[in-house]
Amino acid sequence: MKQDQVGTIVGSSVHLTGAIKDSSDITIFGSVEGEVISDAKVIIEESAYVKGPVTAREVILSGFVNGTVNAKDRLELNTNGSIKGNIDTTELLIHSGATFIGKCTMPDKRSNESGPTEENFEAEVDEDKLQTSTEDEGEDEKEE
Amino acid sequence: MYYYIFEQPKSKHERAAFEKIREVARDFGIYGEITQASPARSADELVMIAINKKYSTIVAIGDDAHVNAIISRIIKSDPDYNLALGIVATDPNSILYDRWGFKTAEEACETLKNRKLTKFSLGLVEPDHYFISSITILPPKPTRVLFEVDHWKAEAVIDRAEISNNLYILLERSINERSTLKNAYNWLVGKSSNKTDQSIFKGKIIRVDSSDPIPVYIGSKAIKQTPISIYRKLNALKIITKRDKISLEKITS
Repeated sequence: MKQDQVGTIVGSSVHLTGAIKDSSDITIFGSVEGEVISDAKVIIEESAYVKGPVTAREVILSGFVNGTVNAKDRLELNTNGSIKGNIDTTELLIHSGATFIGKCTMPDKRSNESGPTEENFEAEVDEDKLQTSTEDEGEDEKEE
Repeated sequence: MYYYIFEQPKSKHERAAFEKIREVARDFGIYGEITQASPARSADELVMIAINKKYSTIVAIGDDAHVNAIISRIIKSDPDYNLALGIVATDPNSILYDRWGFKTAEEACETLKNRKLTKFSLGLVEPDHYFISSITILPPKPTRVLFEVDHWKAEAVIDRAEISNNLYILLERSINERSTLKNAYNWLVGKSSNKTDQSIFKGKIIRVDSSDPIPVYIGSKAIKQTPISIYRKLNALKIITKRDKISLEKITS
């Protein structure tokens, strides 16, 4: 084991309960019930299931998270990724096919540039609302 | 003064290698008392003799189990003077060989003569098995094992688990390919259908439990059965290490 370079890896055959913390990267293939905290990167693979808050500098998500995700620098939600919970991040990338049910909070970069006051931009994504807006668009097209 | 504890040689080749170390040690001026562990006199007893005679350096020459047995006895004896350990690992497949394996007897004796000391942390399997390499938990068949580590618990089916002296945990589970078609394809192209699922954790206190007792090994020697508790003893022992090699690039830059 090259100990110094390796972070934490939760294999696909592992079920972990409790708070898991690491200053290095955490990669999850299995299931975790509890808090996941890293000073670096958290990678949640396709086979992974996390029930609890995830906090890291960067989060790359291809599996399922039921809980809040706090990615200080960046959050990437891949095609098969799914989040049921709120997001707090600076940079957000959601790939087509991903699922996100919750509230997203991001700092308003424009107001940061113009002055010291900082207002958060909040976007609420809800499956019901998404459906409604699609229907509205359809009606508009008919009227034209 | 150096007190050498050789493992009982397992082959002619090993006997010759040990003889060579004795000769070279004499040439290097680090010759001391030479002993060899045997069923009649264990490494444990030899360490006690060395400590009673106040030898400042004990040199353990052998495989992981031999070296760890000597370490365990030194720590348990808690000598009241400054004692250092020299290691010459002889099993090229062992973990200790990475750090204390030598290509030649000359290289080994030069390292022992230079006596560069570094403090090392040790793992402790309760009640009294200290180790500097790692312990291996090896169930006869895939078994569900519970690991309680600091603030969390992990349950996993494992084929093998390894815990290092710094309490890094490596879990391994071999997974077979379920699809018959893929198995057949892998067989045709000569690829293995088995994948290894690995987990890596670290902790400060670890408790390992299982429904059936599983043997726990240091090197090839079984020391206990689960359940076990493992701790870390920080900077527990001064050990002679190789001198850092300075590369030509570093000198010229």
